[in-house]
Amino acid sequence: MIAIRDLRFAWTDGPFQLQIPRLEIARGEAAVLAGPSGCGKTTLLNLICGILSPAAGLVEVAGTDLGRLSDADRRLFRLRNIGLVFQDFQLIDYLDVLGNVLLPCRIQPAVKLTPAIHERGLDLLNQVGLANFSQRPVTRLSQGERQRVALCRALLLNPLLLLADEPTGNLDPENSRRMVELLLQESRRSGATLIMVTHDHSLLPMFDRTLPFLQYLARTDGTEAGASA
Amino acid sequence: MNSAFYLAIRSLWWHRSRSLAVIFSLAIIIWLPATLRIALNQFRSEISARALSTPIVIGAPGSRIDLVMHSLYFRSQPATTVTMAEHALAAESVGVTAVPLHMRFTTRSQPGAEGAPIVGTTPEYFTFRRLTPQSGELPALLGECVLGADYAERSGLGTGDTVLSAPRNALNLAGDYPLRMLITGVLARNHSPDDDAVFTDLRTAWVIEGIGHGHQNVDRQTDPSLLLSNDRDDAASVTAGLGVLPYLEITDENRDSFHFHGNASEFPLTAVLAVPFTERDRIKLLGRFSGSRQLQCISPPQVIEELLSIVFRIEQFVLLFTLAAAGAALLLLALVLNLSLKLRAAEMQTMFRLGCSRLTILRLQSADVLLLLTSAAGIAVAGGLLARSTAAALLQQLLL
Repeated sequence: MIAIRDLRFAWTDGPFQLQIPRLEIARGEAAVLAGPSGCGKTTLLNLICGILSPAAGLVEVAGTDLGRLSDADRRLFRLRNIGLVFQDFQLIDYLDVLGNVLLPCRIQPAVKLTPAIHERGLDLLNQVGLANFSQRPVTRLSQGERQRVALCRALLLNPLLLLADEPTGNLDPENSRRMVELLLQESRRSGATLIMVTHDHSLLPMFDRTLPFLQYLARTDGTEAGASA
Repeated sequence: MNSAFYLAIRSLWWHRSRSLAVIFSLAIIIWLPATLRIALNQFRSEISARALSTPIVIGAPGSRIDLVMHSLYFRSQPATTVTMAEHALAAESVGVTAVPLHMRFTTRSQPGAEGAPIVGTTPEYFTFRRLTPQSGELPALLGECVLGADYAERSGLGTGDTVLSAPRNALNLAGDYPLRMLITGVLARNHSPDDDAVFTDLRTAWVIEGIGHGHQNVDRQTDPSLLLSNDRDDAASVTAGLGVLPYLEITDENRDSFHFHGNASEFPLTAVLAVPFTERDRIKLLGRFSGSRQLQCISPPQVIEELLSIVFRIEQFVLLFTLAAAGAALLLLALVLNLSLKLRAAEMQTMFRLGCSRLTILRLQSADVLLLLTSAAGIAVAGGLLARSTAAALLQQLLL
């Protein structure tokens, strides 16, 4: 599903540098990226979903080399094939629950809101137990309900890849565990590959695989960040 | 674009207090100068049309503008009057129709309906102004009147009703008494000051002024209740009681008793409208009265042009201030929109990360601004249409 070769990325204003000689994640695999906050995990997710472009190397998702796509095509590819769950879920306050779930169909002219997709949105809400909340403003939802709305939004277009960027960052241990269970359950149900970023090491055993993220870090002064960690 | 509008509408509704504040601020910015301009143009065209249709006005010396305002728009009172003799002088000029005007009284104000000017004139006035009754007929007898359409509407009076004149000075017992006039008709709307006036014949106007009068027969035979004291044997010497009407009314029974004292040629007029048949007649008439110290003979279009030049200067000032206010309001609006965009930055970032196209981001922001602007423009247009009918009239009241 994901193939990375000789990837190099660096921010221009800091010593941070990411180097990934080789990384492969299979279709349907549930992988986790663990590491302390601010160490660059989100950057790797952004490279995988095409929000950031590497300085060198190949990032291939579902057989598509993201580097060969134009900016517009990359955005469309991301919308159609990658579902994103953010740390604070980033729901749109002025839309109700169903409006938030259907949002991906309102932000790209190429992705139309069809009756079938509308039906799928309702079906997803039903699956996560929010069928009766479809017209409710998201501001009146509990944290757990907001998580589920964010997950439904990510799953709406049947993504091949589900990227979750510290979705448990602001949650207590109990809710963190529930969120991960939900992610794993829904990604397995839809057959999507899951990559989740977390700094909570207690969650790692729940995943198929933990990516050796610290090995990918290097400093511009030549010292291996992972080696010193 | 539908999705962009959908999201923009939901966003504006969610932030409805802020949206309404922006919409109304914008509406005022659009409405104020536009309405002012429309109203001034309408005012200018109405006032000019009336002046252009009135070639010459003859009146007592004094302010030219006051004389025009009085004779054309029934506003302001000339300090002195002319007489029927001056009217006769104009009327005997070859190729001139002279229309006398007497306008020194108004009807009595009622709750919700301010009094209208009572214009005493001759039938030539109706012909000259092309005024025809919409209902009823023009006054023919002493004590009758016809109402302008607007006054009839706001006072709720119509054919067959009566209307009272208002005395100029209630404390002057020897002066003018209110006259109750019979309404014989209502004029068709003319979209001019005639719509807000009451027309009667000259003699009725003079009766209101106290120059002509009748006699109410107050004696022991007619109605003893009208007498305060009738204990004296002399039938001619009675003291009238409170039951004596505090106004005059000309009826079929007492019409013949009305009469005028004094020399008819000295009866007062407040102005004479002169309508020369040709340009040559007009020049001859102007020449005839140009040397007079007792009269002034003026051409209303010229006077109105002078007045409008003053209005135009005022308009420039008003527009300048409006533009300055609009500039300040637009700056504030830009600040509000900028802050709004900053508040929505996180939302835009989410959409971008999900895969939103650059064009959609632009569309979302444009739809927001477009909806605000169109809503504001809609309100401004509605306000403009509402104000259009009243603003010009209001300006006339303020400026004339």
